[in-house]
Amino acid sequence: MIDVNGLCKDYTVKKKGAGLSGALKGLVSKNTGVIHAVRDLSFHIDEGEIVGFIGPNGAGKSTTIKMMSGILTPTSGSVLINGEDITKHRKEVVKHIGVVFGQRSQLNWDLRLEETFELLKHIYRIDADDYDKTMSIMDDILGIKELLDKPVRQMSLGQRVKGDLVASMLHSPKVLFLDEPTIGLDVSAKYSLRKFIKEINKVRKTTVILTTHDLGDIQELCERLIIINHGVMMEDGNLKEITDRVAPYKTLVAEYYDEDAPEHEKCEMISHEGNVARYRFLRSEISAADIIADLSSKKALKDISIEEAGIDDIIKIAYGDPVTDPS
Amino acid sequence: MKYRQVRRTGSAAGFEEIRMKKYLFIIKTQIIKSLTYEFNVYGNILMQTIIMITSAYFWRALYKGQGSVNGVDTDSMLIYVIISSALSVLLITNVERRIGGSVEKGTVATDMIKPISLFGMFFAEDIGSITALIFQNMLPIIIIGSLMIKVPVMADIRDLPLFVISVIESFLINWLIAALFGMTAFTAVNINALIQVKKHLIRLLSGSIIPIWFFPESVANVLYALPFVYIYQLPLSIYIGRGTRAEYLAQMRIQFLWLVILSALFFVVHDRVTRKVMVQGG
Repeated sequence: MIDVNGLCKDYTVKKKGAGLSGALKGLVSKNTGVIHAVRDLSFHIDEGEIVGFIGPNGAGKSTTIKMMSGILTPTSGSVLINGEDITKHRKEVVKHIGVVFGQRSQLNWDLRLEETFELLKHIYRIDADDYDKTMSIMDDILGIKELLDKPVRQMSLGQRVKGDLVASMLHSPKVLFLDEPTIGLDVSAKYSLRKFIKEINKVRKTTVILTTHDLGDIQELCERLIIINHGVMMEDGNLKEITDRVAPYKTLVAEYYDEDAPEHEKCEMISHEGNVARYRFLRSEISAADIIADLSSKKALKDISIEEAGIDDIIKIAYGDPVTDPS
Repeated sequence: MKYRQVRRTGSAAGFEEIRMKKYLFIIKTQIIKSLTYEFNVYGNILMQTIIMITSAYFWRALYKGQGSVNGVDTDSMLIYVIISSALSVLLITNVERRIGGSVEKGTVATDMIKPISLFGMFFAEDIGSITALIFQNMLPIIIIGSLMIKVPVMADIRDLPLFVISVIESFLINWLIAALFGMTAFTAVNINALIQVKKHLIRLLSGSIIPIWFFPESVANVLYALPFVYIYQLPLSIYIGRGTRAEYLAQMRIQFLWLVILSALFFVVHDRVTRKVMVQGG
């Protein structure tokens, strides 16, 4: 479905000195530098997948999405969608893709929502039948019909994003790119957005590629994660598989009746405060039940709980930050 | 369904028809959009009226006691002023601002994801705005001019086809210059200042405010070699009847030549620029 091969993007930036003198120098001398925003990305995405692109700000996620959707031309490498090169045949290939940017809208500020849809209907040459069908599906998922008469400039962010989602799906694209779609949305708008992504993926087999900083999006939607940092791919795989590999430990929190806590040879006590002790152990080495049995034979336990390595731990590790203790 | 059938026949004409249809719809949408800004329209009419009336007084004062200057009498000069004001509505382009804005705010991204030629869309949008402006601005200006200055009657109605053709060509030349200017936004990013410079340069060099025949001969000769004179002064000269039909045709040949040169330049630059689009705030 989508093949990305050796994708690179360099930006040439003008270096300007600080202050007025720097600005003046910048007018006459050309001091340029190169930023490698994306370095040698290669991956393959199958039809019907939902792939989450994650990485810290400035990691190159948006740049990658823009190259994949034909907005930016790669410095080198290629993006094939359905076997066709998007940079060479932009006008043809973009018929099969939809794009939503959370931070900018493709809706026309001055028009009613329906007028933007009508315009897109003509630009993509959508059949009247297909158009009506899509609209009724979109109405079921997002309740879009009540917004059709509203001028876009009077819409709330949540409504506008709904409008953008429908606009991107009108021509029934095979691939949908979402660049930080949930940014700034409230809980209920996030919920309908996630419902929308799941529905179109199920009903229309639409391949979805999204970038997000929202861990909830990833946990609820993505079967597959691609983690990027500094333009380089750090991880690519199933969420669970990455968790097992990157963060193969669990934490056992044990509360005793007094401040004295016993050690255990197969796990590491990472903190001990008051009556509460935390033990970190590898799942492959010992089971939680064994530790509890061992500990309780040494000393009476008041309460226990087990913390899994969460997705935020994985992201922290993948982003290159040391995992800080949750306590 | 209808479109599909046309496409299946595979005839070139049918294909063209479908392709045109989306641009026609962009024009229609743009007209709707233009009609939402009423206040803007009144401001524009007011501004144009002030410029027009001031110019009329200016020329009346200059012509005082003189029958004709350079073969143009007072009445013809007043008509020149009114038609120049009316024409300036037709020569409003938004393409450079559109490109500038889309680069600055990054909205070019949402334009690029559509299966449409970027400049084809900008052109259609400008046609749409101008269609709306003909009714919102051009007609009111002609009416105000007729009431307050003079009824602008054409010197020789038989030259009307020449006038119309030269206006269409001047519109295209003006649009191409604007588009070429706009493309610098893809590399220079902020072109607001350049747009202003360009706007006033064209007004000055095209004979829109002061006809070129009032300029010193050496300057005028240089200007006749540049494309700007063919934007305003040529159609205006035809309208007020300054010159013979043979002269008009000779000048229209140069106008057409400029149209060809600018179009060629446009397509060369256009291909390079779209390959090199950059989006800010990625």
